[in-house]
Amino acid sequence: MAAVFNLNHHASYAHWHFISLSVPNLIVIVLALIVFVLAILVPFPKHGPGSQT
Amino acid sequence: MSVTQPPSPSRSWTLRVRERAVEALPPEKLLADEQPTYVASWIYVFGVLSLSALGVIILSGCILALKGPGWWHFTGIGHFFNSIHLWSVELFFFFMVVHLWGKYWMAAWRGGRRQVWITGAVTFLVAIPCALTGYVSQQNFDSQWISAQAKDAMNAAGIGAFFNLLNFGQMYSYHILLLPLAVVALVVVHVLLVRKHGVVPPFALSDKLAVETPASPDGGAARPDGGEAGAEGGAAEPDAGVARAGGEASGPAEPS
Repeated sequence: MAAVFNLNHHASYAHWHFISLSVPNLIVIVLALIVFVLAILVPFPKHGPGSQT
Repeated sequence: MSVTQPPSPSRSWTLRVRERAVEALPPEKLLADEQPTYVASWIYVFGVLSLSALGVIILSGCILALKGPGWWHFTGIGHFFNSIHLWSVELFFFFMVVHLWGKYWMAAWRGGRRQVWITGAVTFLVAIPCALTGYVSQQNFDSQWISAQAKDAMNAAGIGAFFNLLNFGQMYSYHILLLPLAVVALVVVHVLLVRKHGVVPPFALSDKLAVETPASPDGGAARPDGGEAGAEGGAAEPDAGVARAGGEASGPAEPS
């Protein structure tokens, strides 16, 4: 990652009224929301023929 | 010469403890080989993912504790295990948050599962200082900076008299013994309670399907709206179908 992004500086911050979040934290929160939605929507794999799951 | 009589079996505390333990958690519940079909969803996977991450945290943490700061700061393999420890903690919180969201939106405290929800929530809260004490136990400038900042935060919160974040020994003891012990104990209780009460079912899709919320076999009866109707006893267990732990399934896929 360090080869792709320059990490040798302080994190940028996103400000919204009194809320102040670092961009890395914001990325993790958005990622968690995406994973949460996918966990609900993506069908669970079945386990072979005859299975009803 | 007097001979001490052995206590009668009915008065033996070990027997009473064993009987109560088996009654609360019979072997078929403790190590169940079947699960309801509704757990065949990705949202039900995040609990065990959290457990897996916790296992890696403990294993990598034990290795770091055995080898010491010189090893984790100045050797390649030490850096590797330090990173494994950090990223397994990141994943632990990530999985735990998604698990928490999933259980919150399906109201996982339904059907006599209050204690399951409470132990999970308390585990999350205790895990936060467990991780934060790790940041201040790194033994580098980063940890010194975080300690000084966190000390001010503790003082501002009015609890600075109880914790000295600039005291490495105290923070290290919290990080590698007291708090992990609390987290693991809470997780064990949480998992045993899940085994006892069963995995919480999703809400029914419509009123047509909404018969009753499957309740814990020994928990309170549940109302169709998901609220808990009564105290302990009178469990409702509709035929939700079961799936073998190995993947084989039987019965309907949704609560009838």
